[in-house]
Amino acid sequence: MTLIADRPGPGEARPYRFPQVVRRSVAGGQVVAAHLPGQNLAVALLLLDAGAGREPVGKDGLGGVLAKALEEGTTQRDATSYALAIEALGTELVTGLDWDTFQASVQVPVDRLGAAVELLAEAVRTPRLDPDDVRRVRDDEATALRMDWANPGPRADAALRADLFGAGNRWGRPMYGDPDSVAGLDVEDVTVFHSEWFIRPGTLVVAGDLDRLDLDALAAAAFAGTGGPAVDRGATIEVPVRAERRIILVDRPGSVQSTLRLGHPAPHRAHPDHVPMALAGTVLGGAFTSRLNHLIREVRGYTYGIRGDFASSRRFGRFAVSSGVQTAVTAPALVEAVGEIARTQAGGVTEDELAVARSWRAGQLSVELQSPRAIAGALSTLVVHDLPDDYHARLREALLAADVAQVSAAAATHLHPQSLTLVVEGDAALIRDELVATGLGELTDDPAG
Amino acid sequence: MPDSGYPWPISMTRLDNGLRVVVSEDRTAPAVAVNLWYDVGSRHEPAGQTGFAHLFEHLMFEGSVHVAKTEHMKLVQGAGGSLNATTNPDRTNYFETVPAEHLELALWLEADRMGGLVPALTQETLDNQRDVVKNERRQRYENVPYGDAWLRLLPLLYPPGHPYHHATIGSMADLNAADLATFQAFHRTYYAPNNAVLTVVGDATTDEVVALARKYFGALPPRPEIPPAPDGRVVPATGVPAEETVVTDVPAPRVFVAHRTHPFGSPGYDVVTVLATVLGSGRGSRLYQRLADGERIAQPDLVGAYGVDLAHAPAPLIATATARPGVTGERLAAGLTEVIDELATVPVTAAELDRAKALLATAWWRQMSTVDGRADALGRYATQFGDPATVAQRLPAWLAVTAEQIAEVAAEVLAADNRVTLTYRPEEKS
Repeated sequence: MTLIADRPGPGEARPYRFPQVVRRSVAGGQVVAAHLPGQNLAVALLLLDAGAGREPVGKDGLGGVLAKALEEGTTQRDATSYALAIEALGTELVTGLDWDTFQASVQVPVDRLGAAVELLAEAVRTPRLDPDDVRRVRDDEATALRMDWANPGPRADAALRADLFGAGNRWGRPMYGDPDSVAGLDVEDVTVFHSEWFIRPGTLVVAGDLDRLDLDALAAAAFAGTGGPAVDRGATIEVPVRAERRIILVDRPGSVQSTLRLGHPAPHRAHPDHVPMALAGTVLGGAFTSRLNHLIREVRGYTYGIRGDFASSRRFGRFAVSSGVQTAVTAPALVEAVGEIARTQAGGVTEDELAVARSWRAGQLSVELQSPRAIAGALSTLVVHDLPDDYHARLREALLAADVAQVSAAAATHLHPQSLTLVVEGDAALIRDELVATGLGELTDDPAG
Repeated sequence: MPDSGYPWPISMTRLDNGLRVVVSEDRTAPAVAVNLWYDVGSRHEPAGQTGFAHLFEHLMFEGSVHVAKTEHMKLVQGAGGSLNATTNPDRTNYFETVPAEHLELALWLEADRMGGLVPALTQETLDNQRDVVKNERRQRYENVPYGDAWLRLLPLLYPPGHPYHHATIGSMADLNAADLATFQAFHRTYYAPNNAVLTVVGDATTDEVVALARKYFGALPPRPEIPPAPDGRVVPATGVPAEETVVTDVPAPRVFVAHRTHPFGSPGYDVVTVLATVLGSGRGSRLYQRLADGERIAQPDLVGAYGVDLAHAPAPLIATATARPGVTGERLAAGLTEVIDELATVPVTAAELDRAKALLATAWWRQMSTVDGRADALGRYATQFGDPATVAQRLPAWLAVTAEQIAEVAAEVLAADNRVTLTYRPEEKS
């Protein structure tokens, strides 16, 4: 025999340590940095308390338009000069937002970080926001969203979000808005949002070789000309789960797959069950070996992939499952996915499954936290959720310590198979009748049409 | 300017059975990346068997002699690791990054599926993964607007019989016809130690890795003659531009302009890489400045250019733009080709060149910032150029490209009679 039959056990574990965290208060703002000795590349990321949750209801997508408008020239130079200046350093200005924060970042060889942060701050703090430019950017963003919404997914996501959280609430509408909400924004919406939220200091996150970086100088550049007190972040939002399961059908004629989005509300990020919930989600839908992927992909062959998880922001959370399945098997795939969620809620997890889930999640802390970009993301988590420097070490311990009883209890408490909203985006003419026949819940057509 | 793009140690050891073992030690984090490049891709597929190399990649996760079905994923994830595999026209790569103490497990798993896949392969597994791959094709190519652009560009760029003529995902008809015996033969033919490079980067020494490689892979027999893919290095010029227009359910006109250039790894392709960045990467690029900002005929987020890094034939350079509302596909195509044509006639300025090189340097160091990024690069250079240490030359080669070289290469490979234009046009709504 040429192969060795016996599976080798692990060698001696070498403990993972999250990089040393440095925190400073400089020029009215906060700096949170990680030391990556010898790393050639460095990342700086400015976090502002200006996420989509700060957008007024009906102004959905405002932050996204402002993010784009930041690059249309500053008080010091026009758009072309700005693009050439920042790209000559080897970076683009990368912007992003979620429900809690707006972020702008640069990634460059370490000796260029100072110059890059100056340009980042120039765009974020002192954009030109010329009315003609803002209108053009708005129109381009509306067009970009129209393009995106021609893909399967965004309409189903919006239908699920609206049904879970209510379309009358900002958090019941798409994070980046929709084509119509963005088209309806005006110049003043953008300039007011900027003056209200973008000239507060915020937090500068830095990941790089701190021996070659001057944090005070970076902070001075990032926080120059800023002011204003911290603002109340708002209380957590308790969202009731539905009394009954329902199906929402989003028509996409000619679709060769049906896009599935199943979900219900779940606890916010600071909930004490965060770790056992995450592990329950991993067993059910988080890893390749999850119950859902095993059944729907590896046994049935209905899909290229299916996944599910609990996700949360500071104020609210949700459980959701997403997949794309071949049109002809839409109904059985939906029935089996709901069945797997119900089985997990009722019966919990096994030690065998949990062993994989906890080792995987703990191991990912050393495997995935390598690049400066990944470390900066981890630091952002500390900032946004007020977590201590040793959070990642404690998280590892908490993951490894979670037992079957805790995780099964979290599944029992926080999964609600009877209250799921089941959004199906596909060719309605082909799938409507069989969806009704599943008896999974009353079927309604997507109110957004 | 750095004189090396790879400031870490590299060793390469060839086992008696031909397996090349590349090691690059880095003790920064307690993790190791394990990466296997098999020198087989869709370029090896004969007519009637398109998509087989990729479908085979799926089968490699479904169990082998000592690893039960689904156990591979479970063992790697249960060790805290990340894993995946990809197939392209040139090659198939398999990789996992694990906490360092699980290095031996990863090597055992890779050896078992290199040497012991065939006895474990069943009709049931093949049928299941065939369905999964057909769903992958639907999800990535058929169910999204413009999703089939790559499938349409390849046959326009490369003639029938050329190894890059067909796409890696394959055709539904060929996938449906795939039988078990073909896959058993596929493994016996290509999945041999002398057709692979094993790379380990991270928290391990060369001695440790080579000893483990000998232990787990050392007794696997080499295959004496591995049939090569058809030679695609010379693509006869037709002298006639190729054009295709697709009228379908898309939200706006989109144009792709593509050219065959030079193979990845050649000096000419280094020039193409810098040229592509000047042309289409970032807001300071010529395409953005001219079409998105200047004339404002292209949507700003959807304009760009890139080379596809293929090494066994002249690799494609693809430029693309999507029309702003009210702009026709014809006007957009005219704007796009005008900017491309000017690469040969309007000299690239020092500022344009510096911008492109700075962006490329950051992209390079981003790939090198993780052990898995480094492992894949070393596997590539060992497989395609015979020496992993040549990885260090790529970044300096990009940084040495001149404006004159860009004009010369543009004149050579971007001529109008060597051009492929693919245009998507929305259906008229009644």
